[in-house]
Amino acid sequence: MRTLTAAVVIVGLMASACSPSQPASPQTAAPAASTPPADTGGEGKQQSALAPATIARLAKAKAPFDLTGNWFIDVSQNPEAWRFGPPYPKLTAASQVHWDAAKKATAEGKVYRDDIGQCWPAGLPLIMTRYWPMAMVQIPSAIYMISGFMNSVRIVYLDGRKHTDPDIIVRTYNGESIARWEGDTLVVDTIGFRGDHHWMDQGGVAIPAGEQLHIVERIRLVGEGKQLEIEYTMTDPEHWEGEWKSTKRFNRVDDEDIQEVSCLPDLNEHIRSTTSKTQILQ
Amino acid sequence: MQKFLLGCACVVVLAPVVSVGAHHSPAAFDRTKEVKLVGTVKEFRWQNPHTWIEVIVPDEKGKDVLWGVELTSPTYLIRAGWKSNIIKPGDKVTVVVNPVRSGEPSGIFRSLTLADGRVLTERPARLGTPDSK
Repeated sequence: MRTLTAAVVIVGLMASACSPSQPASPQTAAPAASTPPADTGGEGKQQSALAPATIARLAKAKAPFDLTGNWFIDVSQNPEAWRFGPPYPKLTAASQVHWDAAKKATAEGKVYRDDIGQCWPAGLPLIMTRYWPMAMVQIPSAIYMISGFMNSVRIVYLDGRKHTDPDIIVRTYNGESIARWEGDTLVVDTIGFRGDHHWMDQGGVAIPAGEQLHIVERIRLVGEGKQLEIEYTMTDPEHWEGEWKSTKRFNRVDDEDIQEVSCLPDLNEHIRSTTSKTQILQ
Repeated sequence: MQKFLLGCACVVVLAPVVSVGAHHSPAAFDRTKEVKLVGTVKEFRWQNPHTWIEVIVPDEKGKDVLWGVELTSPTYLIRAGWKSNIIKPGDKVTVVVNPVRSGEPSGIFRSLTLADGRVLTERPARLGTPDSK
């Protein structure tokens, strides 16, 4: 609930920040002489993507396209299109043990380490292809993505910032995404992933996603704006060799909005397959 | 007389993979089997990410067994004609499920037959395609 509330607040902030007739907010007014100066962290500190000055600066250059909308993985030709394989890359030994364990579990009628089913975040890349739409709101400085699946939030920055220093980055399941425009393509670079309870597939295929995971997405708007094409190039030398490539298409959904979705503490008490003897949790 | 038909109702089902809307792996379910549950609704929860039904079903010896039935999200169920008040505790229903492979009284939903004979499934229109309208 808190997550969706935060998302709604974000969207509300964006709407107000984008309004050209919006008067200066009290927060941007010059402080009174007796008021201590705001802690800006010093000159050059990264400003928020939602700071009015940031948005105004970047609004001068028109973006090649606007992803604002609800997007849903195209499964019209293949209900398994949410997976990023096959083909799968050549796995390292560290990854092969999980692959083999998942295959063995499946053969025995069991489920191997389905962490998403245990309410861990899906994380990137799987969060993009859940069977719920992904709401995207684009402003000049960022794209805010809110998944209909657990309301997972992903922010793609367009404001020219650099990736956070590895010494201080807070690792997450969706990672830190920074994008740049290359002609009619938006190139999104994502690092900073959590390397535990994070998987590249689900349902009989177990390939871990580690802290070295690096994902580059080349995003284009196609089909007269009704489809999103994302070409994924993924590397994680701890878990597979070379580049793992996959191209996905997403359809625009104009007759549904995302809803509040949470993995509540009592959910799996009633979704009993997740607590059944079929589950191999460790 | 209510009947618990586990075993005699098992049939091969040529079903597509039904991972629609699931937050968890569908691998726990045996898609080649169907179990027909004839019983009484104990609870029906209309919620995200999954709707669920608990049904009290007498076994061969007459002992009540509580079955858990997992369904997709209300978004898809609405598209298939469901409403939040379509069943309530105490209703007599027949539910067909694909059971979990462990043999526990749990399964993923296939169809619901109400006391008045109406049959509901959860076959959803796919979002973002022409048939979703």
